[in-house]
Amino acid sequence: MTQAIETRGLRYRAGSFEIRSLGLSVPAGSIYGFLGPNGSGKTTTIRLLLGMARRVAGEVRLLGHDVPAQLPAALGRIGYVPERPHLYQALTVAEALRFHGAFYPAWDAAWAESLRAQFALAAGQRIGRLSKGEVGKLMILLALAQRPDLLILDEPTDGLDPIVRRDVLTAVLEYVAEMHATVFVSSHLVHELERICDWVGVLDHGSLVAQLPIEHFKSGVKRVRFGTPPVLTNGLHLEVISRGADPVGAGELWVVRNWSDDLGHSLTEAGAHVREVIDLDLEDVFVELLRGSRQPV
Amino acid sequence: MFDHIDARSPVPLYEQIAAELRLAIAGQELRPGEALPSVRQLATSLRVNPATVVQAYRDLERGGYVELRHGAGTFVRALTAQRRESERSRQVRALVRRLLADAAKLGVGVRELREALAQETGAKAR
Repeated sequence: MTQAIETRGLRYRAGSFEIRSLGLSVPAGSIYGFLGPNGSGKTTTIRLLLGMARRVAGEVRLLGHDVPAQLPAALGRIGYVPERPHLYQALTVAEALRFHGAFYPAWDAAWAESLRAQFALAAGQRIGRLSKGEVGKLMILLALAQRPDLLILDEPTDGLDPIVRRDVLTAVLEYVAEMHATVFVSSHLVHELERICDWVGVLDHGSLVAQLPIEHFKSGVKRVRFGTPPVLTNGLHLEVISRGADPVGAGELWVVRNWSDDLGHSLTEAGAHVREVIDLDLEDVFVELLRGSRQPV
Repeated sequence: MFDHIDARSPVPLYEQIAAELRLAIAGQELRPGEALPSVRQLATSLRVNPATVVQAYRDLERGGYVELRHGAGTFVRALTAQRRESERSRQVRALVRRLLADAAKLGVGVRELREALAQETGAKAR
């Protein structure tokens, strides 16, 4: 098995919302950032993967198991942190650990206990009385202590303060370093994923608009400030994602794909004047990509 | 040591990490025989994917800067003086290239740059 998650032609419909022929491919051992604006269908996709929503068509394989036929076998090896916590409010932290642990064959009670101490969660505290940050930490603890081969995290740090965010991220990275688990993490907080992901998938309006290793995703996408823009780009291996007036100076501002120094030289020779070539971060690329997929240049 | 790691840069993170370590090894900030941090330690402290750290260490191993001892960790190898020297001059060239690129953006020529350099170093020597 080389793919931890694989879907083919996955389709879903609820009212006017639709997921169209989704083909996710998440390599085993990767940290896969599942990006998309709010409402693009990230949570629905995750619910489809885990058998919590019913698809119209398509195939899903999780860790080599066919879903839904072999769903229980798959779920025993998957740690899932949902967007909204689903914990019994009346249980104490210690009771929640025992209750949750009973469902998972690989549950590691000793490690759960050490994570509890590391996260400074009081064993006797009732869940209903925990702060939002404490609930966030408890959710990640529950997912990690079952020693999953695949972690599915749905906006795991949304609404948490920066200190808790860092604690959660560190715990996940420590686990990955030790166990070589696969992580599938959805977020609209693009910046947060930039340093940790090696694969990126971008969902928009229920369609996957990109899915590739992060270095390919970012490579060659630049913002270029032209003093004098090129007259023609025909025949060049250059894809113009957007172009407009430069807010600074009299030139134009372009966002392009497949930029290279050589290409810059040939444009200069053809009479263009390149003022500056600016690297984009993941968030910029993400925004430009969505803009490009929604309205063609 | 890793203050310059920048996820925004087009240079892949593993290359940035490897470059910082090469610099530290060539400058003997990291001594021969010294252990590099474990993958887990470095990944969590830099908040990067552990695979990125592994890739950086493999890169250093291929270049002969470190050796991976199975189960024990990653250790700095002794570099010959010649090797250290060539690594230093490589770094210097990279430094100059960056300076020239920034200067070109400002439209500053080599002569102006030389004068500024002389002025700066002169000012420091005084």
